[in-house]
Amino acid sequence: MDALAALGGGFVSVFAPMNLLAMVIGLVVGMLVAVLPGLTLVMGVVLALPFTYKMGVAPALVLLTAMYCAGTYGGAITSILFRIPGEPMDVPLLWDGYEMTRKGLAALALGWSLVAALFGGLISAIVMVMLTEPIASIALRFSSPEFFSVVCFGLASVVTLSGASMVNGLISLCLGLLVATVGVDSIYGAERFAFGLPFLQDGIEFLLVMVGAYGIGEVLSRMMAGDPPAAQGDRATRFLTAFPSWVEMLRMKATFIRGTIVGILVGIVPGAGATVSSFVAYGLENQYGKAALGKGAPEGIVAAKTAATASVGGAFVPLLAMGIPGSGATAIILAAFLLHGIQPGPQVFATRPDLINLVFAAVFVATVGKCILGYIAIKPLCKVLDAPEAVVSAFVVVFCFVGAFAQRNNVSDLYVIAAFGILGYLFERLRFPLAPLVLGTILGPIAENNFMTTMVSFNNDWTVFFTRPVSGVMLALAIAGLVWPLARSLRARYRERKDSERGYTPSP
Amino acid sequence: VRQALPHAVLLAGAVALYVAASRIDVDTGGRIGPAVWPKTILVIMAILCAYEIVKRLLGGASERAKGLVEGLETPGEEGRAEHPRRLAGGVALVIAYVFGVQALGFFVATVLFLTLFPLVGGWRRPVLAASMAFAGSFALIVVFMRVAYISLPLGMGPFRELSIALIRLLGVT
Repeated sequence: MDALAALGGGFVSVFAPMNLLAMVIGLVVGMLVAVLPGLTLVMGVVLALPFTYKMGVAPALVLLTAMYCAGTYGGAITSILFRIPGEPMDVPLLWDGYEMTRKGLAALALGWSLVAALFGGLISAIVMVMLTEPIASIALRFSSPEFFSVVCFGLASVVTLSGASMVNGLISLCLGLLVATVGVDSIYGAERFAFGLPFLQDGIEFLLVMVGAYGIGEVLSRMMAGDPPAAQGDRATRFLTAFPSWVEMLRMKATFIRGTIVGILVGIVPGAGATVSSFVAYGLENQYGKAALGKGAPEGIVAAKTAATASVGGAFVPLLAMGIPGSGATAIILAAFLLHGIQPGPQVFATRPDLINLVFAAVFVATVGKCILGYIAIKPLCKVLDAPEAVVSAFVVVFCFVGAFAQRNNVSDLYVIAAFGILGYLFERLRFPLAPLVLGTILGPIAENNFMTTMVSFNNDWTVFFTRPVSGVMLALAIAGLVWPLARSLRARYRERKDSERGYTPSP
Repeated sequence: VRQALPHAVLLAGAVALYVAASRIDVDTGGRIGPAVWPKTILVIMAILCAYEIVKRLLGGASERAKGLVEGLETPGEEGRAEHPRRLAGGVALVIAYVFGVQALGFFVATVLFLTLFPLVGGWRRPVLAASMAFAGSFALIVVFMRVAYISLPLGMGPFRELSIALIRLLGVT
């Protein structure tokens, strides 16, 4: 009952004038960012961060949370209507959503995506409220070996789910962890990898790595790729939404539930986020669902969209309970907390429960708000597609630099961000995943501090990481997560070799 | 050999950084020192790079050992023509902007950047680009300095005077 009353307090805070204004701005900007193919959701949240420096912590959190929630929906509209995925998470919607448009069922496709976003978002928000505090109270009993193992598990999952070569993922992670070691170490005060350069002695802020790699790196990649493919579909399409009937929705309840569970679970795993959820849910639906996907089946829309939106609630759980971001966007929200002197984690539930409930309530309100906006404002939202990509990219670069400069008013941060921009481009080009680099930079100091504390407290006995139950299980899961894809690949090669020895050629 | 080049560069970097980490000299009183963590990471990274180099030299680049989620690329991206000149121009402009913003101040550097970047990116409407750049830079100054209270680089010499005159015009003290 107390928890409900506290959540009620969170809702009251969200509807306070300044917070409500931040919510509306966040929803509109989040939708626009998601609609524009040149801007990703994470980039959008990164670019909004400098505007929160001078805000109070409450409107800052509401703004970024609203952008995050809205960003998981906007791209669905352009995917379905014009075959332009605003976000990578919306790619599965091309296969069924755009097919429905081609069959003249665009309004219904939009209706299904809206219902899926609302269902996935609200259920995951409820799960988030129910799970976060119990997990935080468990985390309160964690000691440094457990925190180290949880971070290792998160980092391993980022590599496993990164979608690129595992070795490249691990190298990217190592680079991120190394970047985090630059500067003066927190235990002995020793200078590491600064090479006498004053700006490196202060360390490299993870925000600069994020803004450079995701923002500038993405812009450079798009310059190399040239103009995006022209939109397919009639721009004069009437921007109407038709909702499915209750009976139709009930018939698809298994798809709704599957997508939501996948979204929440993948969202909880650090580093995975909405894109991975969307693809995994679509794949599961293809395997276990009744409908044949890829030919305009609403099940394809529902599976991908419920999972993408449900990942939001999931991603907030590790952030609020343990201070470990579950996705790129929650990493920025972590930065917003830190910029206001608040370290998310189990202690926040005792020191600032109002902020936790504010975030909970903001997720609920933003989920409903994005659906209302997605229903009434499709036409003006799609207008932004007329903006030339080169112009949008130019503004993105300027926003990135201002964001990097404004945090510390330090000109040398501009060099760092440009360097990581070029590195981000090279990573994309050479097929090194970016997420492990960024998450490694964010979680590196947490991992190192807990590793060093453990080694000092337990007289350099590294076996404690394996002998303590929670720590041992988390490390075992991390190792299994890394070994499993490798084992799967070796097994596939072995089978292939056996087949070729027997002279059998598999059909394409 | 070309396919193994990125990993060879990373391996060389890891070795160089390992040498640098070995020079971190702190009295730890028998406890684990500040160099252990980065050294461990560097050893892991070097092993991974060496493994990938050998693999690529023996069997060519292979994307076989992927993560759990494969093929997350947007369809249609792979067939698009590449524009290395645009990229080179973009990189040059980004670097020029970093230095330009310190010398010319935010407003002038941003007007120039916002005019040139779309042109380099293939948008062939210079007059519109310049107009948008001017209006956009002015709007950004208003938003950042008046709304978000973010101080921006003023530049040097006459450009500093210009920036100060502009922010006075906006009523920022």
